[in-house]
Amino acid sequence: MIETLFPANDFSLIGIILALPLLGAFVNGIWGRRLGKEAVKLMALAAIGASFVCAIIAFLALDKMVSREHGYQRLTWTAYEWMHTVGGRGAGNVAIDAKFSIDALNAVMMLIVTGVGFLIHLYASSYMGKDKAYWRFFTYLNLFIFSMLVLILGDNLPVLFVGWEGVGLCSYLLIGFWYEGLPNAAAGKKAFIANRIGDFGLICGMFLLVHYTGALDWTGIKNGADILASNPSDYYQIHVWPIGGGTYTGALAFLQPKSPITITAATAIGLALFLGCAGKSAQIPLYVWLPDAMAGPTPVSALIHAATMVTAGIYLVCRLSFVFVLSPFVMTTIVVTGAATAILAATIALVQNDIKKVLAYSTVSQLGFMFVGVGVGAFSAGFFHVFTHAFFKACLFLGAGSVIHAMHGRIHDDVKSQDMRFMGGLKKYMPFTYWTFLTATLAIAGAPLFSGFFSKDEILFKAFVSKSVNPFAEQLSSKAGATVWAPPAWFGQAVFVVMVIAATMTAFYMFRCFFLTFHGNFRGWEVGRASAFRSLPADEEVDHDGDHHHEEEDLTVPGPPPHESPWQMTVPLIVLAAFSFAAGFLNPAPLTHTLPMEHWLQPVFEGTFKIGGGAGPILTRADAQKLEWPLAFGGIAAFAIGTGIAYWMYMMKDGAPARELAAKAPKLHQLLLDKWRIDELYEKTILAAVDALADTMAQVDRYIIDGVLARGSSLLVAALGHILRAFQNGVVHVYALAMVVGLAAFAWHFTTPHPDATMTEASGDYTLEAGPGMGYSFRWDADGDGKADSDFGTQTTVKVHVDPGKSQAVTLEVKNAFGRVGAKRFNLARPEKAKVLDVGTGMMGGQ
Amino acid sequence: MTPSHYLVLGALLFVIGGVGFLVRRNVLVTLMSIELMLNAVNLTLVTFNRMRPEGMGGQMFAFFLIAAEAAEVAVGLAIVLSMFRIRRTVRSDDADLLRN
Repeated sequence: MIETLFPANDFSLIGIILALPLLGAFVNGIWGRRLGKEAVKLMALAAIGASFVCAIIAFLALDKMVSREHGYQRLTWTAYEWMHTVGGRGAGNVAIDAKFSIDALNAVMMLIVTGVGFLIHLYASSYMGKDKAYWRFFTYLNLFIFSMLVLILGDNLPVLFVGWEGVGLCSYLLIGFWYEGLPNAAAGKKAFIANRIGDFGLICGMFLLVHYTGALDWTGIKNGADILASNPSDYYQIHVWPIGGGTYTGALAFLQPKSPITITAATAIGLALFLGCAGKSAQIPLYVWLPDAMAGPTPVSALIHAATMVTAGIYLVCRLSFVFVLSPFVMTTIVVTGAATAILAATIALVQNDIKKVLAYSTVSQLGFMFVGVGVGAFSAGFFHVFTHAFFKACLFLGAGSVIHAMHGRIHDDVKSQDMRFMGGLKKYMPFTYWTFLTATLAIAGAPLFSGFFSKDEILFKAFVSKSVNPFAEQLSSKAGATVWAPPAWFGQAVFVVMVIAATMTAFYMFRCFFLTFHGNFRGWEVGRASAFRSLPADEEVDHDGDHHHEEEDLTVPGPPPHESPWQMTVPLIVLAAFSFAAGFLNPAPLTHTLPMEHWLQPVFEGTFKIGGGAGPILTRADAQKLEWPLAFGGIAAFAIGTGIAYWMYMMKDGAPARELAAKAPKLHQLLLDKWRIDELYEKTILAAVDALADTMAQVDRYIIDGVLARGSSLLVAALGHILRAFQNGVVHVYALAMVVGLAAFAWHFTTPHPDATMTEASGDYTLEAGPGMGYSFRWDADGDGKADSDFGTQTTVKVHVDPGKSQAVTLEVKNAFGRVGAKRFNLARPEKAKVLDVGTGMMGGQ
Repeated sequence: MTPSHYLVLGALLFVIGGVGFLVRRNVLVTLMSIELMLNAVNLTLVTFNRMRPEGMGGQMFAFFLIAAEAAEVAVGLAIVLSMFRIRRTVRSDDADLLRN
């Protein structure tokens, strides 16, 4: 029935999936304030829930199609035809339509976005319960889901870009949701600006793609991609002058290389696109916005971090994998960036005290893992980590939100209520949160059989066994007829080691966070007997809008114990925890040889490998499987060591070794706490430079534009007006006098002769032609002897010949009707012959 | 009496009219100065016509000018009258209403 309602090439169910969140945002945005919380909640949850149901139906329809007709399948829907233009070196018709499609890759994304998004909506309906701007929050949230769906379902880059910018806008709105606090608004701005830098790269990538491949939709790019790296001619190469094409001489000459750096179009496109991915997915150097994004409400953090926006970069790399594989340099860049980000963020997460900050840096680190996965050509492995990460990170964030919610029972300060030093022992009070958080922690730490284990292990394994980072370097070289740069052979193994270290750190900081929060003694406030506080009004439902109208309480006075969250918050936790555990079995590589997830995604990446020219990125299947088990121990060891150290430090010794270490190396500890002071570095360099430029511009604006140009010109006009006003005195005689003076001036001008002549020259023959005038008669002195050649007459032209290097003076005299005579002297000077010719003849003579 | 005498007389009359126009403040005298200048022009035109008697252009222009003068005096006197009604004076110095 689905197929008759929605044929594969006009699958308008996509429109419904997209329209429902938009409708929710629209209704809540326009009427939300008057609807009341219940109605707003109903609208928002129903919209996203129904969208999720439609997404499942669409997924099933696709699945049916895949099992019936094998190979790459997709469902498309064109909302409307937008633009057609000629592009790609005039090669063809570039269609830019508002077109959407579902294939294996974005079908999974679609389920994650709507499914996890729904759970987060449900959670937020309670978490944000006391917020004044409830309706605004759900408007943004629905709009965010809509933008994300546009991003992943778009069938071409411009549509994707609309969603890309849409999530950027919504993240700005949501991070700065409590805009009354300055840090929140600043964090929103930071996210927005850091993302703009990435977007610049994405736009450049789009321009290059349409230029070289002549298409912007996935199929078109794929068809045109073949050419990007294979053609050896100049045609598909890009010449880059590192500091522009100017000519530098003298001391600055070293700045300018003798010839431009030549890269293939694939490299240029890949780098540009990856800049966009790094911005959206928070990689070095653009990761700084993501930890600050914690300023938003916790459900927002969960939504942005877990399921949606930050994975857009990975999604884009997967989506355009057939472009990325064409450039080993870009692939290596992705791996290096991902690995560096993974390890840098992990080190920062080791020491943070804010529970959400730990999770934020963990996200940055996990995104690094994903990029390593896609960078080594194991796209399905990288994407599988996106999939599992969506569940466990959402679960972790929502769990953290639940904890913060409980802490708000007594501690109303936003910073303190998120500080793990005030938590501890929450296991007793919050069993649901405890068990779900434990599940998700085990998953992210890579405990065997949990989802994170399978996905992370797959990435580690693929990094190790991929011969070099790009498996296609050889094929590309033979195809292009030139050597394509390839990383050294040990690169994969090095990446493996680095990533195992990062994974160890992950296990450590996650369990540190877990033990500090849930084990030991509760450090928040004195907990009295629960029965003593029954009669008190339920003040635990604190508003989270940072509006501290409560007096800060004395925490030494016994208070009620922390409480478990209501069902709207625990149910999503339980569901997500279940998936955090089970999702791994969709791709349990070390256990079995049937990999449903990889099998499902295979058609998407099949073409990629074909374009690359190789059979696949990995060693032969048999070799790979032999290594699968031994390498899995890397991941298991990382989990065991990290968890063990955390257990020893924080459970057995109650944090004493950590304090000792911090005391031993206070500077390093502080440096880590300050996040390597990267923000400060940016402030000192880039921000300072921009500020200085802005200051200069402001001065220029104030003194030159405003002062000289605007005020100066107005002063000039005013002064002129002042002078002229003196004449406008209304006295007739003054006007009459002015008229007389004017008339006299005219009379003088007309009675004076004005001798003038135009001169033309052709190889030494000068012709002078005198200008006409009333009653004029002319007299010439052409031979330059100072005496007139003839009397006044009607001769208006003279011809004079001047030899090279000589000069001659010609005088024209004019007599007008009043008998007055005027004279003008013309100096005819002919230059020497051009020097070049002389040198030429000289050389000839010398020979 | 040669035509040049008439021309000199015309120029003298014109200068007298002009100076009177520039220096006198009584609007009625100013109007009379204008009449004097116009008559000087008429005299000059007629003189030139005498010097080149082929056409009657100068005489014609003199007649037109006389007609224009009559119209001008009518308008001028009307202005002077209304000015006198408003300002109670015929001094042109005081007729500077447009200034403000």
